[in-house]
Amino acid sequence: MSTPLIRMQGVGKNYPSMNSGASRLRTVASLLLGSANIPHYTALQGVSLELARGESLGLIGENGAGKSTLLKIIAGVVKPSGGSLEVNGSIGALLELGSGFHPEYTGRENIFLAAALMGLSKNAITEKLASIIEFADIGDHIDQPIKHYSSGMVVRLGFAVATAMRPDILITDEVLAVGDESFQKKCIRWIEDYLAGGGTLLLCSHSMFHIQTLCQKALWIHEGRPRMLGNSFDVTREYLTYHEEKNSQAVRGEQATNSSGVYQIRSLWLEDDAGSPAALASMGGALRICGVVHSPDDRAPVILFGIVRADGTPVYGTHSNETGYRPNRIASSRFGFCARLSGIQLLPGKYTIRAHAMDPEGLRLFDTVETSVRITGQTRDYGLCRLEHEWLPGREESNTMEES
Amino acid sequence: MPVRDHFVTNLWHYRSLALNFFQREISGRYVGSVSGLFWILIHPLALLGIYSVVFTTIFRVSLPELGTGSFVAFVALALWPWLAFQEGVLRGALAVQANAGLVKKVAFPNELLVHGAVCATYAVHGVGFLAALGVIALTGNVLHFEALPLVLLFLSIQLLFTLGLALGIAALQVLLKDVEHFLTPFLMIWFYATPVLYSVAMLPERLQPYMLFNPLAYSLGRIRGLLMHGGGFILADGAALLGAVLVFVLGRWFFNRLAPHFEDFL
Repeated sequence: MSTPLIRMQGVGKNYPSMNSGASRLRTVASLLLGSANIPHYTALQGVSLELARGESLGLIGENGAGKSTLLKIIAGVVKPSGGSLEVNGSIGALLELGSGFHPEYTGRENIFLAAALMGLSKNAITEKLASIIEFADIGDHIDQPIKHYSSGMVVRLGFAVATAMRPDILITDEVLAVGDESFQKKCIRWIEDYLAGGGTLLLCSHSMFHIQTLCQKALWIHEGRPRMLGNSFDVTREYLTYHEEKNSQAVRGEQATNSSGVYQIRSLWLEDDAGSPAALASMGGALRICGVVHSPDDRAPVILFGIVRADGTPVYGTHSNETGYRPNRIASSRFGFCARLSGIQLLPGKYTIRAHAMDPEGLRLFDTVETSVRITGQTRDYGLCRLEHEWLPGREESNTMEES
Repeated sequence: MPVRDHFVTNLWHYRSLALNFFQREISGRYVGSVSGLFWILIHPLALLGIYSVVFTTIFRVSLPELGTGSFVAFVALALWPWLAFQEGVLRGALAVQANAGLVKKVAFPNELLVHGAVCATYAVHGVGFLAALGVIALTGNVLHFEALPLVLLFLSIQLLFTLGLALGIAALQVLLKDVEHFLTPFLMIWFYATPVLYSVAMLPERLQPYMLFNPLAYSLGRIRGLLMHGGGFILADGAALLGAVLVFVLGRWFFNRLAPHFEDFL
């Protein structure tokens, strides 16, 4: 592969903080003199990445994490305050809804303006005008000032101009979300075709579906720093897990169980079939949930375990009474237990495994001990777990059923 | 950043954008207004009317060098070029800030905004000036139309100077918002310090050398002199051209040095 399309080394962006006239003057002076000593806050730091032609990158992160700043830096609107940036190709940027449009102009005039902003000559624009208008598909509105447009129509027009440009790198900042369903599909079809033709996409989106479908790589930016860069499936999964955990932290308050002379799980761990500790399990693989439980009266307690997704959604739970399993006594008032899960059908992601000790009658629940496991694997399935299924040919008579 | 390097080739690449800004500056001022293109003449004509009443009816000024020509024609010859300068600086200085939305979202050579604003102002007042010259000639004043090419050269020199100045101020305006408040009074003082309503010859002798420090005094004086008395290219004109080019280059350097930081301040 030849030189990368985009190469960034430790790129960061500081914004000058100016709260008084004096600091404003100081900032201007240091800008002119070229000194770097400006009071600032950091919007982005330490981003290094390489993107080859035909690769596509999704940017994810919370609001204000620095995604847009990074896109602006690559688009050339913002000068990075540190690091090196190299872009070897033409860029088409849709940084914001209707950026580069003038509200008083008609749609048609704005096509000329937006294309001129991208550096296209008048002749080139005239040539492509028909296809742009056709792609935007907004009918007679094309000759009305765009201040009367809905936001969806503005996006249609903006995207249509970008399609006509066919830049080496297409940068879109969460603009797809505004279009209606059919337009989104149209855009995605176009992008897929564009990617297949060797185009490179930089997409910033909160739709993990779009990121997974359109991007090979993803970069998760967290509080101005790159947190994870890699395969878009892995990164989006991590990111979603992070959010699930964040949400459930709020729900789960203080549920710490106090313990004194009751049935109690003293330790809980996960291991693989070979008996070595495991925090990971692949989808379809096996996992053992093992532990030691304390019994004050030396009677075998009932064990209950459950699996919840990181956001607290219960997936499955069962207790040892169900199958008549009794933990075996391993020491005085100590019982050991082990449950083997085989052919795990949980979808990849992070899960919490909770275990509880109950009295031998299975009436009272005494404590909760948690550990977590990460299920690995690649799938585009949705939900919590995979259900066994197979695809079969459609039945011929279903045609007649529909007609009747 | 490829967009901001290689100034000249880059500007050529963006020529259709430059043209777009230029047209937008012109159309933006009359689109939606009822008076249409007529507004081009309203402001200078109103000023001319006021000066005429104040100086010929109230103060009864008589200019020795005027001869048979009217005072109104004398003022008019310098007024249009001055207005082109004054409005050009003002519009150019605010052009970047006025298009903050664009500057923040799209990568393009920001200086085109200033060029568009200044050139459009010169074009508009240039057309008004030609119309005014026609009217002045028709009302019985003697004008040396054969000097018109040289007058156009001076307007171009003045345009370069205006561009350089406007670029510098526009960059400062983005960084320091106060500039615009100083600009209007500053331009008003400059107006009275420039021989538009009077001629250099009317100044006390000890003040006359100071006019050398006012580039506008030279260009307006030459434009008026050429149209009233005719004449050719002299050596000092070459110096004026060089000076204007220097101001333009400096202003442009200053602007493009700060342009990458505009987004931080807008």
